Amino acid sequence: MRRLVPVSLLATLFLLIPDPAYAALEVSVLELLELGAELAGEEVTVEGELVGDYGFRDNGWMWTQLNGDAYVRRPLREGSEAVGANLGIAIRVPVELTEVLDPPGRYRNRGPVVRVTGIWKYHDTARPGESYLEVQSLSVTEPGRQLNEEVNWIAVLLGALLLVGAGVIALLTRPKE
Amino acid sequence: MLIRPVAEDFKVIGFYMGRISLVVAAASLLPLTWAGLAREWNPFGSFLLMTGVFALLGVIGVGLAPRKSELDWSHGMVVVALTWLLVPMIGAIPLVLSGHFGRPLDALFDAMSGLTTTGLSLLGDVDHLASSLNFWRHFLQFLGGQGIILAALTIFAGTGGITLYIGEARDERILPSVTSTARFIWAVSVVHLIFGVTSLGLVGWLVLGFDLDRSIFHGLMIFFAGFDTGGFAPQSTSIGYYHSAIFETVTALLMVAGAMSFGLHYALWRGPRRSVFANLETRTILSTFGFTMVLTLLGLAATGLFVNVAGLTRQGLFQVLSAHTGTGFSTVPSAELAKWGGLAFGGIAIAMALGGMGSSTAGGVKSLRIGLTIKAVINQIKQVLLPEHALVGTAYHQSGRKHLTPSLIQSVMVISLLYVALYLLGAGIGMAYGIPLQQSLFESVSASANVGLSVGVTDPSMPILLELVYMLQMWAGRLEFVAVFSLLGFVYAWVRGK
Repeated sequence: MRRLVPVSLLATLFLLIPDPAYAALEVSVLELLELGAELAGEEVTVEGELVGDYGFRDNGWMWTQLNGDAYVRRPLREGSEAVGANLGIAIRVPVELTEVLDPPGRYRNRGPVVRVTGIWKYHDTARPGESYLEVQSLSVTEPGRQLNEEVNWIAVLLGALLLVGAGVIALLTRPKE
Repeated sequence: MLIRPVAEDFKVIGFYMGRISLVVAAASLLPLTWAGLAREWNPFGSFLLMTGVFALLGVIGVGLAPRKSELDWSHGMVVVALTWLLVPMIGAIPLVLSGHFGRPLDALFDAMSGLTTTGLSLLGDVDHLASSLNFWRHFLQFLGGQGIILAALTIFAGTGGITLYIGEARDERILPSVTSTARFIWAVSVVHLIFGVTSLGLVGWLVLGFDLDRSIFHGLMIFFAGFDTGGFAPQSTSIGYYHSAIFETVTALLMVAGAMSFGLHYALWRGPRRSVFANLETRTILSTFGFTMVLTLLGLAATGLFVNVAGLTRQGLFQVLSAHTGTGFSTVPSAELAKWGGLAFGGIAIAMALGGMGSSTAGGVKSLRIGLTIKAVINQIKQVLLPEHALVGTAYHQSGRKHLTPSLIQSVMVISLLYVALYLLGAGIGMAYGIPLQQSLFESVSASANVGLSVGVTDPSMPILLELVYMLQMWAGRLEFVAVFSLLGFVYAWVRGK
């Protein structure tokens, strides 16, 4: 019985301590960009697409960019309209968490959409003036996927015709010796 | 009496524009090849179309074959002004067809911004842009920074070259002929290209851990935009994407090299190097850089946004350097830059307005004009304070001993005042649309001085009139007004002349 009391207390305490992923503040990339200073040092959860490059540095971190804009769900290559600039933040992820990731988003490629939780480092003193999210946990919401590219045959044909036309005019108008 | 231009005048102008179009058509083969190699077939089609249009216009222009192909001053200026309108219009074709712009005008805005090495952008989703289109945007900055006319002059030597050369806002003939000067400028650029791409590529590969091909890609893009003080970047977060002090340092070196006059490059290469620091322009730019730097750092310290000196100095230094050289790269998001109020805002805005050195790839009023204005003001004060018959020295050092003449002062003052008027024009129109003074002024100066830093006003939702005004500012600011006024005069003479 004596043993049971502290074990029960510990078990209750364990249940009461929330999972870090749930305790973190749920924010958008836009909020991080606009309220960067206010959220400094906070544990936050943010969702978005990984784009650009995966930069694997020597110190065990992988750096990349996480975008949280309209293009994540509606890529331009799938017929949606341009609605302005991207919204992105830098994230650094422990290398061991990156094995599950598909290639980052680029042309003809929608990168993996991930949900990351970590500490928002605003103007970090350790990396003078830089702002980024130091990721502690990561889960893939949507895997990356290839996007279609359609050839613009009208442009190809018109371009070829114009070049041929230019060649013909050049031949006809060349100065005679 | 105004003399109405005749058919022969149009033929001369068309002939030279045709030649330049052919040069740009040849240059367009680079993005076309890139798209083919990268198997980006959608942009490939649009590059083919663009090349075809340039080539067709080129052969039609050259085919006009005027009786005398000599170019006088007025024709030369009109050719320059029109070329800087024509190239963005046709160069925007691949951008329009990319689907990354809400309206065709936005694509034209980006092409104008690219060619004038401004760097403001309305492009949507740059992070998913085809690599060949990214290459074209950055290559446009290289073409514009080096000078399209300069490219043509390197190939087509002939009479009238000096008019075209000056029309493109260059007044420094480094070597005896314009063609040899143009070739020297290309030589300087190629050396920096090799240094820039190698250094940035190695940093990307070895330090940042990017793939080798992507490291070279980033190196090339940042070189084009950095050395030509353009400010476009392949990722939406600009230089902040790299999160690397070494990468920022190499980029800063390229920006400084781009903002230096090619005369200064010549002096550094061939000597005597000591004279470089005796130049009024060098001393002025070092002083104004120091001044705006102190102003910005004090302002940033007052905002309390940075908790340590190292962070404040690193971010402040990069942003001021980017503004003063007219590059427009940033390491902080627009949303944060907009919060840099007070002195920090003043420091950055003044740095943008002042600009780099004359005959460089930078925009703005230019350091030599600032230096000469200050010297003229000091002389005026001395004249008042000294006895009536005392002589005030008018000599100054700028690639040799020169004198400050009344006509030089007048020309310097006129151009400087025109820049101020241009800055106020965009700011006024921005305010008329309800944008706060600080943001309106910042963005207007950024457009006119061909910088490209933004506090968020430049956005696809911006009013069309404001967009058109920014385009006008980029164009007039890049050409330093003379060619623009010549074109207006030519059109006026055509309409009202006899």
